[in-house]
Amino acid sequence: MDDMEKAIVFSFDQSGAIDSMLKSRAVNFCQQIKETPSICSTCIEKLWFCKIVQVQFWCLQTLHEVVRVKYPSMSTEEKIFVRKSVFSMACYELIDDKNAVRVLESPAFIRNKLAQVLVTLIYFEYPLIWSSVFVDYLPHLSKGSIVIDIFCRVLNALDDELISLDYPRTAEEITVAARVKDAMRQQCVEQIVRAWYDIVTMYRNSDFEVCTSVLDCMRRYISWIDINLIANDAFIPLLFELILAKGLSEQFRGAAAGCVLAVVSKRMEPQSKLALLQSLHVSRVFGLVSEDGESELVSKVAELLTGYAVEALECVKRLNSENANEVSMKLLNEVLPSVFYVIQNCEVDTTFSIVQFLSGYVATMKSLSPLREEQLLHVGQILEVIRTQIRYDPMYRDNLHVLDKIGIEEEDRMAEYRKDLLVLLRSVGRVAPEVTQIFIRNSLATAVTLSADRNVEEVEAALTLLYALGEAMSDEAVRTGSRLLSELVPMLLQTKLPCHSNRLVALVYLEAVTRYMKFIQENTQYIPVVLAAFLDERGIHHRNIHVSRRASYLFMRVVKLLKAKLVPFIENILQSLQDTIARFTSMNYTSKELSASEDGSHIFEAIGLLIGMEDVPQEKQSDYLSSLLTPLCQQVQALLLNAKALNPEESSAKVANIQQIIMAINSLSKGFSERLVTSSRPAIGLMFKQTLDVLLEILLVFPKAEPLRCKVTSFIHRMVDTLGASVFPYLPKALGQLLAESEPKEMVGFLVLLNQLICKFSTLVHDILDEVFPAIASRIFNIIPRDTFPSGPGTNTEEIREVQELQRTLYTFLHVIATHDLSSVFLSPKSRGYLDPIMQLLLSTSCNHKDYLVRKACVQIFIRLIKDWCARPYGEEKVPGFQSFMIETFAMNCCLYSVLDKSFEFGDANTLILFGEIVLAQKVMYEKFGNDFLVHFVTKGFPSARCPQDLAEQYCQKLQGNDMKALKSFYQSLIEKLRVQQNGSLVFR
Amino acid sequence: MALPNQQTVDYPSFKLVIVGDGGTGKTTFVKRHLTGEFEKKYEPTIGVEVHPLDFFTNCGKIRFYCWDTAGQEKFGGLRDGYYIHGQCAIIMFDVTARLTYKNVPTWHRDLCRVCENIPIVLCGNKVDVKNRQVKAKQVTFHRKKNLQYYEISAKSNYNFEKPFLYLARKLAGDPNLHFVESPALAPPEVQIDLAAQQQHEAELAAAASQPLPDDDDDTFE
Repeated sequence: MDDMEKAIVFSFDQSGAIDSMLKSRAVNFCQQIKETPSICSTCIEKLWFCKIVQVQFWCLQTLHEVVRVKYPSMSTEEKIFVRKSVFSMACYELIDDKNAVRVLESPAFIRNKLAQVLVTLIYFEYPLIWSSVFVDYLPHLSKGSIVIDIFCRVLNALDDELISLDYPRTAEEITVAARVKDAMRQQCVEQIVRAWYDIVTMYRNSDFEVCTSVLDCMRRYISWIDINLIANDAFIPLLFELILAKGLSEQFRGAAAGCVLAVVSKRMEPQSKLALLQSLHVSRVFGLVSEDGESELVSKVAELLTGYAVEALECVKRLNSENANEVSMKLLNEVLPSVFYVIQNCEVDTTFSIVQFLSGYVATMKSLSPLREEQLLHVGQILEVIRTQIRYDPMYRDNLHVLDKIGIEEEDRMAEYRKDLLVLLRSVGRVAPEVTQIFIRNSLATAVTLSADRNVEEVEAALTLLYALGEAMSDEAVRTGSRLLSELVPMLLQTKLPCHSNRLVALVYLEAVTRYMKFIQENTQYIPVVLAAFLDERGIHHRNIHVSRRASYLFMRVVKLLKAKLVPFIENILQSLQDTIARFTSMNYTSKELSASEDGSHIFEAIGLLIGMEDVPQEKQSDYLSSLLTPLCQQVQALLLNAKALNPEESSAKVANIQQIIMAINSLSKGFSERLVTSSRPAIGLMFKQTLDVLLEILLVFPKAEPLRCKVTSFIHRMVDTLGASVFPYLPKALGQLLAESEPKEMVGFLVLLNQLICKFSTLVHDILDEVFPAIASRIFNIIPRDTFPSGPGTNTEEIREVQELQRTLYTFLHVIATHDLSSVFLSPKSRGYLDPIMQLLLSTSCNHKDYLVRKACVQIFIRLIKDWCARPYGEEKVPGFQSFMIETFAMNCCLYSVLDKSFEFGDANTLILFGEIVLAQKVMYEKFGNDFLVHFVTKGFPSARCPQDLAEQYCQKLQGNDMKALKSFYQSLIEKLRVQQNGSLVFR
Repeated sequence: MALPNQQTVDYPSFKLVIVGDGGTGKTTFVKRHLTGEFEKKYEPTIGVEVHPLDFFTNCGKIRFYCWDTAGQEKFGGLRDGYYIHGQCAIIMFDVTARLTYKNVPTWHRDLCRVCENIPIVLCGNKVDVKNRQVKAKQVTFHRKKNLQYYEISAKSNYNFEKPFLYLARKLAGDPNLHFVESPALAPPEVQIDLAAQQQHEAELAAAASQPLPDDDDDTFE
């Protein structure tokens, strides 16, 4: 090995034997070689003589890079030299030297690399400079499989690197690809196809591998070459012969099937497509799918059959003549049984495409109504396919029940797998509702009678079908119990399931019952049965915790819908929930393993909805509420006692416990309307105020527990909604506490709370806002960057996202302040110091922010401020300097320069909305500032954009007129004209 | 397969190559595995970090040497030279950045040029982020190329083991192989509220499946 070879081998070392220092030197050495002017000949020299694969790889990699990057600057001689050498290597030639080696004898990844280099040359040189590359190549194929192999690799690389539409391509690449394809079609495609044919016929019994490569390669080209070169009396019989030839390898036969699929899928007119499909006599291969369900060949044939069915269906849809339609339908009916067979019996990856195809087929049926007998038969088969495909395997029964690792995995897999199948079910349900409902009824009826070794999965599948069917039905259809529903729903409620203790069965049962709740609304005689299903051991009292928590949530939804009809049952319901409520807030109950929406707090929401109704007598209502709130508040108070002296572990247990309680109270309060607690029954309101008092204590005791702050904040949100303005006395204290230690994320939450207050109470919150605003401004200007956020890869981090989120919320906050008559807050003595930074931030955002909706909000803020602060006639300035800032800075930068920028895309809807605001801002400035604005804008601004005098005059007229629309469209055309004039040569700002 | 001073082991080990655009979270992902993190070796000269990640299966212990080519997107280095002798791979994209998904086919092609026929997993990372740009439905590349696809969230450890389990099954040729013990993972930095997410999805699906006056079930045409 010479130094270069050593260096390459060292730098590629993966054995761990080379130490870092040495490796580092090796890498540097290689880098130096790369930079020498003779690098191409160095690489080629090595490729002719060196057998070490690392060296070969490095040389090919380097050659590829040099050609790709430096081709234009290479000398003609060098280009010729590289071209000739690489081509010789790819043709298995040797140079005249006894030590010479052949790159083609190296492993596949080296050959692929060589192909890549050759394709890069083709990219630059074919057909203009090196027109003969393909034609010259063909004679070498007779040298045998080693050259055929690399020829296929070159064609594959050409497809991958240039032609295939699967990769993102630049405009230049697309142009080159078109050029290459055109030239090949004209010059050599026919010869290449001929060569493929000859090779396959010659080697079919001796070298399966090379034949497979040729067919796999050919498959890629069928989509863009003349189809008659393949779809003819020579190739098609050969391909089918190969598919059916038992003695050949599966891969080889599968590759032939892949080519037929490519022929079938070729894009063409439907009439010609139909003729093509007919000519194939594809039924010859139907038998293959029943041979061995798991083989690779079956998989390929299944793909072929599915693809064929898709195309036949396409012909049915697109051909209108009766005859052609009939013929395509016949082809479709012919292939369908095999497609059904494949999906039911074969372990193949085609399920997805088959389901897609079936969905397409069902969609076409809509236009065929009424369905023919044959189609009804297909509908039945499709339903059967869905039922068997969504059914769990009994071998996972225990795993799924206890939801262990394997169970979780299986459930996830099934959930994903079911998605498309259930969409298909819904389509079938719409095309053939009767058939579908009868099918589901029978499935359920049969399932419950089965023996225990099968019933769980069958029942679960049947209930899932019933549930999914309901998802597709309109509320109206469910309510009236149209068609079979008035039989199906009572059947669901009254059937005793033999396997209700099973988690999956119990879950889907509750989901299905909830799904059809609209029916119960009209058929109230079933209410006791429904309540029992949720409240007994089938629901909230199910032994499996996953079931009982889900039942809580679903019960809440049921209550929401039926609550008016549930008043007589409240007493009973509360009684049977007693134990559940107590358990939820008890000390040792934490929700670690289950996340928020399944934590069971919905039971409190359900109760709140029930007892919060006005139909409940006042006395009863306060009894119920206090029996819930009093113990919860006492619990919180107990937990807060001595909390400061706790160690972290005890403390975190308490925090978790308090969180639970707040969530419970929060959920409970949702059932009580503002009207009820503030005007009709203030005693109830008082109970919530007392609760608020207790919960605000939490912030004092645990000032740094983020989850608690977050929960308390959301409780304040709730109380703002429920208590209305009577919440005011609590706010100063609460806001002060929340603001004290807030991180960016919490700050967002805090601003959202203020936004809620402002939107609900507008000027009523002036004093409160005035109080907190300086602290907020100071905090935020410390967090957000003064200039722009970093961009590019690697900057998409959680931290930056959080700050961006904060900035965005800040704009909403400022916008909400301005639009709710609160702009005076910016001017109060304590906040005055922040006015300037706020103005600068708004200005630069209104000109530069990448989100145009944010820009729009900022412009709207300015418009509002002008109206608030600059009343006519010109009296004393309310905010000294503001007017000149608007005229000299805002008008120039935002109204003129930012829209002159080419990135301001008038074709975009959001941009147009922003533009409208910018024009409105000019109008408002003119109204408020009069000629002060106009003169400055026209004499200072327009000249800097080289605006002709006549256009400037027209602008003045339009601005002074009353037609906003005309002004807007004039200004747009003005800007577009100015852009053309300056031709991007002027850089403002 | 190891790097200097990295112990070799007497149980089956495989070279796993992780590729994908910069910023998609490849490094964060491999660093979740704590033992791997302790034993990792950085090779500054070639800009690659190799993390030995051990997993315990019902058939015994196995090790993945995860080649994290961090930063290679920009700085040359060995480029596709890293893939040589790769036995399995993960292609990572970021569901919050559309371009990273668009580039997946290119990563796949470059990988397959050097490693023909190896098992590959496609991972959509950062599913914990609320503002997704690439929806699960839009991810179709794996179907064309027969890859396995998983949605993961490196920050919350969501589905961390899935890609490794799939690869281990393929490499062992045993579809029933499973992990008997969880590896030590760094604690999640964010909680992914899956139930909420599923709830949300279910509600969306329910909304979407309401019959529309027009042909909403013709989506597949």
